Amino acid sequence: MRPPAILIQSIKIYFITFLVTGTLLLLLLIGSLYKEISEIQNTMHSKAQLLADQEIETILEETIINLTSNILELADWDEVRQQISDRSFYFYWQDDRLKGSEYFKKNYAQVEIYDKNKWLLISVLSQRESPLELPLNIEDLSTQIIFTQNDTAVLHMFEPIVERDSDKILGYVGISVNLLPYLLTEYSFKYTDELSLHLTGIGSAPLSELSQHIAYKPITNPVSDALWQLINDFILTALILLFIGILVVAISFKAVFSHPLEVLSLYVQQLKKSPKKAYPEPSETFFLTEFEELKHSIHDYHGDLLTTQKALNDQYHLVWDQARRDVLTNISNRRAFDEAWNEVLESYEKKPIQTAFMLFDCDFFKALNDTYGHEVGDDVIRVSAVTIQKALPMEHPVFRIGGDEFAVIIQNKSMQETIDIASKCLQALQAHSFSGIGIKEKLSFSVGISHTNPRSEDQISNAIENLPRQADIAMYKAKQSHQYKIKTYQAEFDSETHSLVSNELVNTIVEAIHTGNNIQMHYQPIQAISDNQLYYESLIRIKKIDTLIYPYDIFSVVERRRLEVEIDTQIIQQILIAIGKGVIPKNTGVSINVSGKTLLQNNFVSLFEPFIPYLKEYKIVIEIVENTLIDHLEYAKSVLNILREQGFLIALDDFGSGYSSIRYLAHMPIDIIKFDMSMTLALRADEKTKNIIQSTAEMVRRSGYDLVLEGVEDEDMLEKAKQAGATHIQGYLLGKPHVIPEIKNPM
Amino acid sequence: MIRQLSKTTLLSVCLLILTAFGSVKAEIVSQIIQPSKIKAVADYVVGDPNKPAILILHGFLTTNQFHTITAISNILQEEEFSTLAPNLTLRIPQRRDSIKCNSIHTNTLEDDVIEVKDWVNWLKAQGHKKIILLGHSSGSSSLLQYLHENEDSAIILAIFTSLFYLNGAELGIQNSDIAAAKLAVAAQDNYPRNYSFNFCQKNYYATPNSFLSYLKMDRQYTLDTLNSLKIPNYTIMAGEDKRYNRVGLEWLKELRATSTKLVIINGTNHFFSGEYELDFQDSLINVINGY
Repeated sequence: MRPPAILIQSIKIYFITFLVTGTLLLLLLIGSLYKEISEIQNTMHSKAQLLADQEIETILEETIINLTSNILELADWDEVRQQISDRSFYFYWQDDRLKGSEYFKKNYAQVEIYDKNKWLLISVLSQRESPLELPLNIEDLSTQIIFTQNDTAVLHMFEPIVERDSDKILGYVGISVNLLPYLLTEYSFKYTDELSLHLTGIGSAPLSELSQHIAYKPITNPVSDALWQLINDFILTALILLFIGILVVAISFKAVFSHPLEVLSLYVQQLKKSPKKAYPEPSETFFLTEFEELKHSIHDYHGDLLTTQKALNDQYHLVWDQARRDVLTNISNRRAFDEAWNEVLESYEKKPIQTAFMLFDCDFFKALNDTYGHEVGDDVIRVSAVTIQKALPMEHPVFRIGGDEFAVIIQNKSMQETIDIASKCLQALQAHSFSGIGIKEKLSFSVGISHTNPRSEDQISNAIENLPRQADIAMYKAKQSHQYKIKTYQAEFDSETHSLVSNELVNTIVEAIHTGNNIQMHYQPIQAISDNQLYYESLIRIKKIDTLIYPYDIFSVVERRRLEVEIDTQIIQQILIAIGKGVIPKNTGVSINVSGKTLLQNNFVSLFEPFIPYLKEYKIVIEIVENTLIDHLEYAKSVLNILREQGFLIALDDFGSGYSSIRYLAHMPIDIIKFDMSMTLALRADEKTKNIIQSTAEMVRRSGYDLVLEGVEDEDMLEKAKQAGATHIQGYLLGKPHVIPEIKNPM
Repeated sequence: MIRQLSKTTLLSVCLLILTAFGSVKAEIVSQIIQPSKIKAVADYVVGDPNKPAILILHGFLTTNQFHTITAISNILQEEEFSTLAPNLTLRIPQRRDSIKCNSIHTNTLEDDVIEVKDWVNWLKAQGHKKIILLGHSSGSSSLLQYLHENEDSAIILAIFTSLFYLNGAELGIQNSDIAAAKLAVAAQDNYPRNYSFNFCQKNYYATPNSFLSYLKMDRQYTLDTLNSLKIPNYTIMAGEDKRYNRVGLEWLKELRATSTKLVIINGTNHFFSGEYELDFQDSLINVINGY
């Protein structure tokens, strides 16, 4: 699954994203923790405050109770009554007895006894100003809190001394208590911070209002406070550590991951930018062994890649060269020629320059081949190639484009210079002695030249695409001449060669071949002499208005336009349709002519696959001309034998029209041999020729082939054919080619 | 042993009965002592009017609530004697509690004698024709001095328990204290000071007059006074009183040599408390009833 484009980011973006996300999550976690604990802390503070309030309230209540109880006990003390009874030693009693007794509490500032008139038992001269001192006389018996300016709160409490067996008031006892020290020493505070405890007020206040004048702070849970401080410290430490961590992670990441990746990425980009250049590996040393290994691996891999690439290049060049080099002659082959020619066409389109096309061909090469054998033929080709190449200027290579056909492309040369080059080559060929390879007679070569500007030196008037065809025509012209073996293409050659083929006709033929329109198949019967069994040779016609175009004109166009494969394909389709429509009677057959070029097509076998279902009811014969078979014998064997195994029959057409070599007969992948009409007619020739024909026919029969004699036009010829051993006859005697198979039955 | 156990059991049962039924209720009575005009209080329980009333006087610095006094009072009330247990005022009106060594002591032996006299008179005023005086420890000394100074036909018997003398070097009395006190008195300086007296060693805070008044009761004075008594008297001493460590067991011999009838309760302490308490009480009852 391909991730969305937005997710494809650099490692920095991802790192920053992860870092920021992680940091935010950690901060969120810490913040959440802080908030939770803060709430707990607040709750605990509230609880502590409540406990402190309750504690203070309780202590104040107890203080009032205790002080009241204390002063009651004091008032009931025998020795107080003793002093009222006899005040002689009051001061001694105060100093030496009272303060050492259990009645004088630690934080009492003063205890005084007053007489029943509320005056001090022993009068003092000075006025008492310190609130810690009790007044000289009691003005108000109610308990009062006296506040001082230095935040001291003193309690003044008085209690009457009553005679035990009556209500008689004997006197009064008064105590002054420094409240804050009293509270702090008399009570232990569990929930109140003693240091925060203080009493404030102005003037005096009744004891009942004591709670309104006390200020304090609760003791927060020390564990909680310690924990809170610990958490604060922890959070601060965590934040510092987080910050340090981020820095360390960022620096570490940069050093460990990001930088190496940047360096490696840059290195890879360098290699990508200049893949054929050998860069030294980055000098940086990485922390991670994996990156180190990756760096070495990339470098080594690139080195290996360069080595491999070089080897591949070498191999490619070798293969490229081999693919474009003719094995026999070691010169450029047909593929190299096609590429070179296409380049010429392309460059010509951009910038037209003078271009000439030159074709060399060995005259009567097939006869030579047949006479001296293929090995000698090959030697002729090899020597010819070397000779032509040597005679050519260095910048003009020669291409072997056919069996004995060589082509040369010449540019930026005038017509005359081109002719001179051709002449030099031809002279070299003619001067070369082929006796070294066993050829005694003198070989002749023909040269055809075409030129983009055949008539004018400074005007390009000829289309470059025409040059091969024109050179070919010129070469054929040269072949026809014994004296002028170099022919330069002239426009007249076209009219001479194809005077009947008008442009309109050409267009009709080409269109029919490409579209199938106007093609009309004619069928000429072929009859077996033994059982009169018929099959038909299919022959193409093309309709043009009210007339028919016949094979001479059709194949003239096909050969010049190299449309052999296209017309064969179209004929096969037409015949297939005819069989399908029942045009060709069942239990007969049809014979289909195919060209050498079609035979050499990769899809040759598959072209006939649609016929396979009809093989039971039709005899399907594929006719191949002799030259095609001989020129490509091994390949033809493999392809034709496949078809034969499928049930097709192979016929060798026009046997005897060329340079048939009887020695090939035994090895040909064929079932039928068709004698050319010239051989059939030769049965009427002199006795010697007749015997040769008959012997040849006999040899064919003995080789196991069926023998078809073409051109049987009368009864006499039929009889001679039978005598010669023909298994089948074909000719006007049986019927001319016709749209719907027609047959006369002479037998 | 069996006898001791039976006595202990009997005492416990009596105490329980007293506590449970509260058959005997003490009445707090008071009177103004003259000439000090200090109101004194006492626990008074009325018993069989045909039986003599018994005035029970507490010891040094204590009150009638001291356990020896309450125990004696209780056993005598069981025997249906009327009892009067006054608190010497020690110049404290309506004194209720024991006082400390360091309390200011202004009282004198003479004050005590006056108060005893007043309480004897009070008893007589209540209709008691016969009175027995019973003192414990220094209370015995006060009663002895009272009897030495006063003759009253209503008083038919005196019982001194744990009787010792109050002045003597062996008791811790410092000659320097005596000298200083006498000097102060001579100088009319009666401000209180710390003395060594009785068990209040160096912290008996008293006026010189107060201190010196009790020193009259030295060893020989006490023996002589005993001898001079004109009424029948018994002296009941604890066999294991730790004060013998100071005064020596010769004190018992010396007592025996006097006209008093000495009874020694073996095994018991100064306060007659503990397992021999019943022995003391039996002896006490025997003494009273025998008389």
